[in-house]
Amino acid sequence: MTPDSSSRAAESSEDEKTAGRHEVFLYVLRRFGVYLFTLWAAITVAFFIFRLVPGDPMNILLGNLARAEGRQRDAAAEEAIIARYRHIFGMDEPLPLQYINYLRKAVLSGLDLGPSFVEYPAQTKDLVFRRMPWTIGIFTTSVLLAWIVGTGLGALIGWLQRSRLSKLAVVISTLLQITPVYLVALGLIIYVGYTWRILPAGGPYARHLQPEWSWEFISSLLTHAILPMLSNIIVIGAGFTLGMRALMISVLGEDYLTFARAKGLSPFTVLKDYAFRNALIPQVTALAIIVGATLNGTFIIEVLFQLPGLGTLFVQAMGLRDFNTMQAVVLFSIFAVLTLTLIVDLALPLLDPRIRRTA
Amino acid sequence: MPALLEIRGLSAGLQGRRSVTQVVSNVDLDVHAGEILGIVGESGCGKSTLATAIMRLLVPPQVLQSGSMTLRPGDGKAYDLLDLPENELRQLRWRHLSYIPQGSMNSLNPVLRVGRQMTDTLIQHGLSQDEAQERSIAALELVNLEPRLTDSYPHELSGGMRQRVIIASAVSMRPALIVADELTTALDVVTQRQILQELAGIRDELGATILIITHDMGVVAQIADRVAVMYAGKIAELGRVNGLFEAPLHPYSQGLIGSIPRGGGQRVQGLPGEAPSPWNYPNGCRFHPRCPHVFAPCSEQAPALLSPGNGRWTACHLYDPEVASNE
Ligand SMILES: Nc1ncnc2c1ncn2[C@@H]1O[C@H](COP(=O)(O)OP(=O)(O)O)[C@@H](O)[C@H]1O
Ligand code: SF4
Ligand SMILES: [Mg+2]
Repeated sequence: MTPDSSSRAAESSEDEKTAGRHEVFLYVLRRFGVYLFTLWAAITVAFFIFRLVPGDPMNILLGNLARAEGRQRDAAAEEAIIARYRHIFGMDEPLPLQYINYLRKAVLSGLDLGPSFVEYPAQTKDLVFRRMPWTIGIFTTSVLLAWIVGTGLGALIGWLQRSRLSKLAVVISTLLQITPVYLVALGLIIYVGYTWRILPAGGPYARHLQPEWSWEFISSLLTHAILPMLSNIIVIGAGFTLGMRALMISVLGEDYLTFARAKGLSPFTVLKDYAFRNALIPQVTALAIIVGATLNGTFIIEVLFQLPGLGTLFVQAMGLRDFNTMQAVVLFSIFAVLTLTLIVDLALPLLDPRIRRTA
Repeated sequence: MPALLEIRGLSAGLQGRRSVTQVVSNVDLDVHAGEILGIVGESGCGKSTLATAIMRLLVPPQVLQSGSMTLRPGDGKAYDLLDLPENELRQLRWRHLSYIPQGSMNSLNPVLRVGRQMTDTLIQHGLSQDEAQERSIAALELVNLEPRLTDSYPHELSGGMRQRVIIASAVSMRPALIVADELTTALDVVTQRQILQELAGIRDELGATILIITHDMGVVAQIADRVAVMYAGKIAELGRVNGLFEAPLHPYSQGLIGSIPRGGGQRVQGLPGEAPSPWNYPNGCRFHPRCPHVFAPCSEQAPALLSPGNGRWTACHLYDPEVASNE
């Protein structure tokens, strides 16, 4: 090789680096565009789904409201009250106009998603914000813990794929993964909560306490959170374990792993820097994908453990046909899931130097 | 002087449900210090299996069946490669025995910088961070790469550069023996030629011994001193490159050398038929269904690797006085 052609080769690599930085920027921009678009699409779908339900459930609800307020038997007066409420809720206008008003209020008036039908004039936004910390707390903590535990465990049983213990772990994880989360939750409530009485299995904290910054309250809060989170961790963690195991096994077959062993690196280095770090990248993507699929499980868990989160709010609203509130919960969930996914996706270029190529 | 690497009766195969299918059969080979020995044969004849067996990197379903290998890297010791415990093997690797695997394009870890992938190995083998850094840069210069390449990720490099990084890593501990499998297969002809030249230069500069494995007779002709022709898991012929290319003994070598394109890309004389896969190696001489000189004993009796003199070896009944005289 002539010195000339060698410097040319180095130059082109320098060019590629600048191009790479440029492409990372494009990736972030594109990813954010996708985020905004998905958010808009989700809001739109949520809006129309609740309004296109046949038989105008609003009418029934508004009738109930009007009766509750006025106790009139007079049909004309009742009609008037319904009309008044329709106006308050912005439902006397054609659907496209309602939709535009809805978007305008949601975006421009600080997330104004309208009043709750039932707790009128309370804002659905406030109802959601009051319940949100429970859901966010339980959901993010348990999904993150499940991911950490599953990733570690999966890496280990993938690395030791031929050992007996590893094969047993696969069977157990598979069984846990296909078990519905409510069965696991019920099992924990019945055995751990009531039969053995090891941990509390209902309510957000002990009944005689008030929310305050005291050790007693906080420890009660935490012990009450263990079983709901455990239900989530067991099921989701089993999925993450199996996923990471499969990723490890496929990475172990890569040429760069053979080369790492040929170099005489210690098994620990091979595991840590060569196998794990490469399997980790798709495992992070899996976290982004799974975040959305596990939120409904958390809602079920809230109901089963009687926690005042969004899941219980949704169930209450459904019972009372409070469509504004249901819609707000759905919107909030979508927002939370999309945002978490966005964060995970934006973290990927930090882990994967090739992202500029694959994006 | 005993050989640097002495392979005796080496057999390796693929573990099936019931039985093992032999891929490499009873290979005897001496690699001498300072030489470049080529192993050449059609794709699928077991070259990579042999290379990975030498490196002790066979993974299931590949299994080692029998044989022995002794490495004498010049530190006064003889290592029985097949009997070495895993931790001693680890220390021996790269220090005495390096490997440039087939598929070098994908042999670099995509998430680590090139420099890190070279120094982590050197540090593992006892060098300090600074020494490792210096050695890596020196090794990169041996293959005409810029030191600043250490900051790159593998995907930022061209195929030829990646191949050079692998070579640089493989020579960085100045090992006694380098096993290189299909070194240049994925590269364009010009880069191929340059890299082979660099490798030959490394041999001269570092006094390394190189076992170069390829399906390409041209590669052997360019850089090897001796060549072993492999067919269906066995060595068919072994000798110095000059002699063997001028007057191949084994009918298979004759066919192979005849089929090197000469001027105008026309093949002088091709081999009829296809090479067998390990699941249907023929009995007797494994080449007999394709051999233009086949005669009675060929389908029954496997020819042994014998020397008709002047340092040449071949496994063909035509050159075995006993079999030939019985005819
Ligand atoms: N891991 C494996 N699984 C299945 N077949 C294999 C494996 N390794 C090698 N073989 C088979 O063994 C034969 C020899 O392969 P290989 O040693 O790679 O040949 P070469 O390097 O000469 O092309 C081929 O028929 C190949 O299909
Ligand atoms: S032993 Fe027979 S079949 Fe085999 S190469 Fe020689 S002549 Fe041909
Ligand atoms: Mg091969």
